[in-house]
Amino acid sequence: MLELENISLTFNKGTPDESVLFDNFNLKIEEGEFVSVIGSNGSGKTTMLNLICGSLVPDSGRIVFDGKDLTKMSEYRRAERIGRVFQDPKMGTCANLTILENMALADNKNKIFGLTRAVNSKRIEYYRTLLEECEMGLENRMNTLVGSLSGGQRQALALVIANMTDLDMLILDEHTAALDPKSSETVMHLTDKFVHKSKITSLMVTHNLRFAIEYGTRLIMMHEGKCIVDIRGDEKKNACVDDLLNIFNKISIEVGNKV
Amino acid sequence: MSALLSSIDVILQDGFMYAILAMGYYVSYTILDFPDLTVEGTVLSGGVAFGLLVRAGVNPWLALIVSFIVGFVFGSLTGFLHVKLGIRPLLCGILVSTALISVNLVITIVGMGGTFAGDGALSTIDLGRGVPTLLRTFPANLLPTDVGGFNLQRLVTFFAIAVAFKLLLDAYLKTKSGLLLRATGSNAQYVTMLAKDQRVCKILGLAIGNGYAAVSGALIVQSRGNVNQGMGVGMVVIGLASLIIGLSLFGKIRFMKPTTAVILGAVIYQGCLGIATLLGVPSAYNKIIMAVLFTLALVGSSAMKKGAEKNA
Repeated sequence: MLELENISLTFNKGTPDESVLFDNFNLKIEEGEFVSVIGSNGSGKTTMLNLICGSLVPDSGRIVFDGKDLTKMSEYRRAERIGRVFQDPKMGTCANLTILENMALADNKNKIFGLTRAVNSKRIEYYRTLLEECEMGLENRMNTLVGSLSGGQRQALALVIANMTDLDMLILDEHTAALDPKSSETVMHLTDKFVHKSKITSLMVTHNLRFAIEYGTRLIMMHEGKCIVDIRGDEKKNACVDDLLNIFNKISIEVGNKV
Repeated sequence: MSALLSSIDVILQDGFMYAILAMGYYVSYTILDFPDLTVEGTVLSGGVAFGLLVRAGVNPWLALIVSFIVGFVFGSLTGFLHVKLGIRPLLCGILVSTALISVNLVITIVGMGGTFAGDGALSTIDLGRGVPTLLRTFPANLLPTDVGGFNLQRLVTFFAIAVAFKLLLDAYLKTKSGLLLRATGSNAQYVTMLAKDQRVCKILGLAIGNGYAAVSGALIVQSRGNVNQGMGVGMVVIGLASLIIGLSLFGKIRFMKPTTAVILGAVIYQGCLGIATLLGVPSAYNKIIMAVLFTLALVGSSAMKKGAEKNA
């Protein structure tokens, strides 16, 4: 279970640009939940993910995960148990390494990176089966540099890689936003498959209202650093895009989001 | 004819010697994308360590390893300044190499048993005639010295050392630690997501780069027979130019390892300088020739990149 307790965060403190993003923000995510988070730009969605992953530190408040206080823990230490897929497909993989090398690194996560051979040829078959699930033919391009793959392929690979380790939580940071409609559909479908299979607690930020409704077990809408909608179960099942859109229109007339 | 032969001899030998420096830059500049100016100091540090130890009768092969360690330590200092204190790469290199000017001088003076009374007293280390250098020690001493105008002993020894350091680097880059280093240069966030501290990886990369630079310095001392406090000057250009010439000419060849390309680049760079000397250009022009060659290498490599993009 993940708990954000009384989180406060102000950007550009003490300058004319000072803006309070979170003021006593609270959120509880139960184990096994798949939470979709929507909200307009600047509502605090990505900042919340950054706080959970440790790329940002709150001014006050605590982040507790399975009873352990993460607030002061560095980003890379948190990554032992928390996986993340970014909006930018370039972030989740190394362009200068081959698919095989990227996977070999991920395969060794939470183990020692010593002076033994990095790529174990006995594992290649296993990597191949993982890649086959993407249905993109990546399994036949293991020695291709990741930099030459398309955005959708890279994002699918990033997703596979994030799921190679036994994690407690998966963070999806608008991970379909930079992809074309077809690829984003594929990647979303793949995400759902992975999350279902591993029952991993997941938090997905998205601008795609349909994805937010169709996928996941709980839906949160954020606005100015607060959760203004928080639905789950039947209530979520019965929600439709128009309902959410109405709320969006109510809270801000200028929403520059793609629907 | 003998002038030509002896210049080929010098070109090859200097090429292998600086190839190790260029391979160090392959790690810090190509892999980590860190323009490291520390080498101006660490090349000399490696030379000082090697010179003093060899003079004191320590086995020169051991002295070569010690010089690597010395460079490794100072390189990690640059890394530390960058990742822990947040200082920009160029400034880190300037800071450490500036500090090393004093460090190298003090160690030299103390090591040579001199005093600080007369400034510059005993600031050079002469290896002398009877000292057991690399060439006078097993196994290099088994090789014949003079074969058809070539100093085969020195040439083969330097070649073997360059190849040994190339193979070591190739092997290292295939290990888990080495692959993580490559990942750090490619996408530091990826390393963070692997639950590894990318800052440590950067320090390690700079340490290796400067370890190689220091070994190169040791070979310079071996080749010249003495340590001169000015010998670090110009090393950034020699190292980077060799690297960039090598990678832009041979980097696209599939079966060739980048480290091999870098060795060839270093030899070609020395070849250009050697040809200038052969043509009778006074050595006073050496540095400007170096700068021009470096510029050509940079322009050439970016032109080649553009060409590749057009073809793609």
